Amino acid sequence: MGAVLRAIVEPGFFASPVVRAAVELGGAVTVVAALVGVFTVLRGQSFAAEAVGDIGASGGSSAFLVGAGPLAGFVAFSAAAATVLELIGVQRARGRDVATGIVLGLGFGLTALFLYLASSRESASGATATILFGSIFAIPATALPLVLLLGGTAVLLLAVIYRPLLLVSISPELAAARGISARLVGFAYLLALATAVALAAETIGAILSTALVVGPAASALRLTSRPARALLAAALIGLACTWGGLLLAWDSYYWPPLHHGWPASFFIVALVVLSYLLAGAWTHRPGRGR
Amino acid sequence: MLHVRLHPHPRRAFALLPFAVMALAVAGCGATASRPPASGGRISVVGAESQYANVLAQVGGRYVATTAILRNPAVDPHTFEVSPSVARTIAGARLIVQNGLGYDAFMTQLEAASPAPGRRVIDVQRLLGLPAATPNPHLWYNPRAVADVAAAVARDLGRLAPAHARYFRAREARFRRALAPVFAALSAFRRAHAGVPVASTEPVANDLLRAAGVRNLTPWNLQADLMNGVDPAPQDLTTEDRIIQTRRIRAIVYNRQVTDTVTQSFLRAAAARHIPEVAVYETMPQGYDYQSWMLAELAALDRAVSTGRSTTSLAR
Repeated sequence: MGAVLRAIVEPGFFASPVVRAAVELGGAVTVVAALVGVFTVLRGQSFAAEAVGDIGASGGSSAFLVGAGPLAGFVAFSAAAATVLELIGVQRARGRDVATGIVLGLGFGLTALFLYLASSRESASGATATILFGSIFAIPATALPLVLLLGGTAVLLLAVIYRPLLLVSISPELAAARGISARLVGFAYLLALATAVALAAETIGAILSTALVVGPAASALRLTSRPARALLAAALIGLACTWGGLLLAWDSYYWPPLHHGWPASFFIVALVVLSYLLAGAWTHRPGRGR
Repeated sequence: MLHVRLHPHPRRAFALLPFAVMALAVAGCGATASRPPASGGRISVVGAESQYANVLAQVGGRYVATTAILRNPAVDPHTFEVSPSVARTIAGARLIVQNGLGYDAFMTQLEAASPAPGRRVIDVQRLLGLPAATPNPHLWYNPRAVADVAAAVARDLGRLAPAHARYFRAREARFRRALAPVFAALSAFRRAHAGVPVASTEPVANDLLRAAGVRNLTPWNLQADLMNGVDPAPQDLTTEDRIIQTRRIRAIVYNRQVTDTVTQSFLRAAAARHIPEVAVYETMPQGYDYQSWMLAELAALDRAVSTGRSTTSLAR
C-alpha cells in the first residue's frame, strides 16, 4: 500500500518549491474561477467567458511587448473586454452570440499582432506557448500576493452582488419587478468573470482558461441545484482537478516512452472534462428518478 | 512560397502558424536582410547567420560581397520570418553557408524555390557529418567546426573564381591564425578552472563551455525546453532551482536573445545569491568578428568565475 502510494505521489513532489508555488497559486486561482463559474453556467455565458479570455490573451501578449508580466495584461484586457461585451449588448439574448463572436475574433487578432511584434523586436520567444497554453510550474512564487489580491477582489464583488445576481440569473422578471438593474448587476458580474478568466489564463493559458471557469461549475450544477452547495462543490471539484493535474504532470515525467513530462494544462483540462462526465453519470445513475 | 518560417522545433512552428499572414503585412522585421545582392564583379555570398557571413567575408576578402540573413542580436532567431528581399538575395547568391539541423530550414526551401546551377551551398551540419538527431544546433560555438567552415569556404570560392584561389587560401590561413588566441584562451581557462560548475538557460554556448572544460549542471531537458519554448517539466525546474539556491554553480550562462519569465526568475534567484551572470549571444553582435566575439564570451566567463563579476551585454 505504502509502495503504491509512493509510486503515485513520489516524495519529491512535496519537497519541491516549484510544486509548492504551483499548488498554492493554482489552488487560489481555481477556487476563484469555480465560484465565478457557477454564475457563468447559470447565466449561460460560457461563450462570453471564452471571448473575455481571448481578449485577455491579447493583453497577456501585449504585456510582453512592454516588458510587464502577463498577468497585468490579462486582467486589464479582460476587464476591457467585459466592458465592450456589455456595451454591445451581451445582456440581450439575441445580441449575445454575435457580440461575443465578434469580440472573440478581435481577441485572437490582437494576440497574433502583439505576439508577432514581441517576438520580432524582443527576445520573447517562449511567449506564444506561455500565453496560449499556460505554464503553471514556471510562475514564480512571488506572483502569489497579486493573485490573492485580484482573486479576493473578484470573490468580494461576487459576495456583494450575490443575491441580486442570483435573482437576475434565475428569474429576470422577478428581479425587474423588485427594481433590480439587470444591466448593473450583469456588468459587475462580468468584471468578476474577467478577473477570474485572467487568473485562469495565467495558470493554464488563455485558450484553456474557460475550462477552469466553466468546467467545475458545470459539474457541480449537475450534482446539486442549490446555489450555496453548488459553489462549494465547484470549488472542491476545481481543486481536485487542478491539484490532480499537477500531480499527474509531475508523475508523467517518469512515464515511458518520453520520460519528459506532459504539460500540466493538459491534465487539468482532462480532469475537468472527466469530472463533468462523472457528475453526469452520478446524476443519471440507476435508481434515481431523473 | 515566401512564407517560410524558421522553426527547428515543431511545437513552436505550430504556435506561430496564425502569425504567418502577419509576416508580410508588418514589414521591416529587424532580422531580415536589406542589402541588395552585390554587383561590380564581386561574388555574391550569403551567410544564413551573421557569424557564417563573417567567415565568408574574412576568407573572401575583396572578391566577395557578403550578405547575412539572421543578423539582429536583439531578437530570437527561432522566430525569424522570411521577407521577399531575403528570397531575392538567396536567388542571386553564388555561395551560401547555412547551419543545418533545422535551425535555418528556410534556407533550403528558398534555395529549392530558385534553383541556380552554379550555386554552392555549404551546410555546416553536413560538412561536419553530424546526424539529423544532433540535439544542440548551435554549431558555431565550436571554434574547430568554424575553422572547417573557413576551409570549405576557401575551397568553394577557389572553384567559383579559380584565378583567385591562392588569395582565398591565404585568407583562410589568416583566419586560422586569428583563431589561435581563441584556442589559447580555451586552454588557459581549462588550466585555471577545469570542471568549474555553471548553470545555463539554453544550450547555445554548450560547445564552447565543453571546450573550456566547464561542467553545465542544468538538466538537458530544461535547456531544450527553454530553447524550444515548451512548458518545462517541474522536476527539471526544481533541479535548476536547487543548484542555484545551494550555490553549487559559479556562474549562470544565459541566452541574451531568448529570455522569458522562467529564465528571468533564474537570473533573479542567482543575483540574490551573488552568482554572476554571463550573457551569451546566439547571433554575432555588432562590432565583432567571429574570433573577437568568441574571445569576448570567454573573457566574460573568466571574469565571472575568477572575480564574480557579471556580464550582461557585449555591446560596444
